[in-house]
Formats: sequence, structure tokens, C-alpha cells
Amino acid sequence: MVAVVTAFSSVAEPESQRIAGALRRRDSEFIGRMVSQYHYRLLRYLVYWTSRREQAEDLVQETWLRVLERAGQYNGRLRFEPWLFSIARNLAIDHLRKQQTATARHRMCREDEAGLNLPAPDFESPFFAAARSEDAKRIAAALGALEPIYREALLLRFQEELSLAEIAQVAGAPIATVSSRIQRGLSMLQAALGGGADAA
Amino acid sequence: MPLENHEKARFLLHRSLVEGISPEDRHWLGAHVGQCAECGRYADLSARAVRALNWFALELDPAAALRVENVVRSRAEGMRSAEAHAKSLWIGTAVAIFLTFTGSAVTWRPLAWLASQWNLPSPVWQIGFAALWLLPSLLLALLPLFRRRLLGEDSDSHGQTV
Repeated sequence: MVAVVTAFSSVAEPESQRIAGALRRRDSEFIGRMVSQYHYRLLRYLVYWTSRREQAEDLVQETWLRVLERAGQYNGRLRFEPWLFSIARNLAIDHLRKQQTATARHRMCREDEAGLNLPAPDFESPFFAAARSEDAKRIAAALGALEPIYREALLLRFQEELSLAEIAQVAGAPIATVSSRIQRGLSMLQAALGGGADAA
Repeated sequence: MPLENHEKARFLLHRSLVEGISPEDRHWLGAHVGQCAECGRYADLSARAVRALNWFALELDPAAALRVENVVRSRAEGMRSAEAHAKSLWIGTAVAIFLTFTGSAVTWRPLAWLASQWNLPSPVWQIGFAALWLLPSLLLALLPLFRRRLLGEDSDSHGQTV
């Protein structure tokens, strides 16, 4: 009976609670599986932020080490992904702030990203490398020209399928701001596709 | 068709993608997009933009992924053993302090009796007791906690390269 109850409780325990418990226990096996499970998504998110594959690879590792350091702050009440992405985001912003030798400068980001030196749009960028269709190639060019905050909003909404509230949690911005970022980013992508269609 | 209908359609299209719309609005939008070629094209562009985002696929380097996993696992194990060590250190210190005070309470009466036999004034033997028994015992009990600092070692084992 006890075994049945124990088995049931371990099945019923939400994933976020199990992650929080494993992080607190420093369960290296579980954490290793998590690193593997989230690797692609975290890398993609950081590529969207930095526009540079190598930097993103480095930041993935830094993010997980930061997750271990701050494990006590995650209580498992909310989903793990927004917390993970918010840590990655802060590291990416710190990294970009330190990157004073950037060869070109995008428009200054507003709000909390004010003063951030962003990498130049790079059409040999990971976006281009990852594009699998003609539409995606046009979108890649548009993404390269977008500011990271818009790329981030699009990724979190349409690829990670986070809710607006969760994106707001990651970005540390009001929901209305997040919504307008998504709409603006989407408008730019539509313009890129529309232009391509016209040209074709 | 009134201009505001097109604006409303675009607004609802965006909204449906970003946060969702009510069934009534969805019905109205479907009817409008079915009649209006321009808004239909706009809706198609929106859908294509979202679909195109999903066609991005980064190529993963399995070696890099494994390297990150190993580093993180190793750090987690290091932190766990460091925390277990710190925990046992605190427990050991607490036990040592408890034994110090228990031992002091037990030896107090025999020492008081000896002092009275040797006609030692109370302040003298009590100061001697504190200086030669209680203080050294407490220092020995606390020593493990500060050993690293005293030896000049880095107490933050989390910061070690793994």
C-alpha cells in the first residue's frame, strides 16, 4: 500500500517540483539529463540573443552553472523554463554589455537594455545557417536586423510557446510591452516575407 | 468595405496570434478574411511568418553538448560534497560545543571542592577554569569551522574549476 502511494505521489508530482528538488539535492544524474534535455532550446534562445553561435555555446554552460548556484531560488511553483530563460537572458545581457569591441552598433535598446552594444546584423549568422526554406531565409535576414528584444519575444511566443505572462517574467517587462514587442517583431517578419513575395 | 473593418481585422489577426481572441471575434475575422483579398493575404503572411520561425533548426554539436553536461554534472557533484562536508562540520561543531558545556558543568563541582581544600579564592580558580578549560575547549570546537580561513585556503569550493 505504502509502495503504491509512494509510486503515485512520484507520478503525480509536477515536473517543476521534481526539478526544484533535484536542484536542491544537487542530483547530478537528474541535472545531467536536464542539461541534455534543454540544451537545444537554451542554445536556440541564446543564439537569438547574441546572434553568435560560439558565444551562445559558452553562455549555455554559464547558464547551467548559474542555475546550480541559484538553485535555492527556484521553488518549483512556476514552470522551470521561464526561470531558466531569465537566467540565460541576464547572462546574455551582461555578456553583450561587456562586449565593447563590437564592430558595429545597432540602435540602442530601450528600457532595461538601454546602452547595450549589440552585434551587427550578420547575414552569415546562425539564423541563415538554420534556415530550411526560402521563407525561412527571408525571415533569417529580417531576424538578423531585428533587435534582440523582439527576436526574444518571437522565439518565446511562437517556438517555446510560453504564455504572455511567462514571457513577461523572463523579460522583466509588463505584459503589454511584451505583447507589443511580439506584434512589432511579427510585423517586420511579415514585411520581409511580403517583400520577398513581391520580388518573386 | 469600411476602412475600420480592415484595421479591426489586422488588429484581431495580430491578437489571435499573440494572445488569442474570443469565438465571436474569430467568427467575424473568418468571415472578413473570406471576403477581403487584402486581409486574406495579410493573414496568409502572418501564418507564413510564424511557420517560417518554426523552420529554423540549429545543428547541434553532440560533443559540445556532452562537454557542457559533464561540466555541469561535475560541478553539481562538487557542490553536493562541499555542502555535505559543511553540514557535517556544523554538526560536529555543535556537538563539540555541547560536550564542552556539559563537561564544564560536570567538572565544576569537583573543581570547586578541590579549590576549597587548597584554600583558593573563588575568583582565582574560576578564572583559571575559564582560561585553562573552557576557552581552549571552545577554541578547539570552533577550529574546524575556521581552519580553511586560518590556513589561507579558498573556502569557496564551488568556485573551483571542474
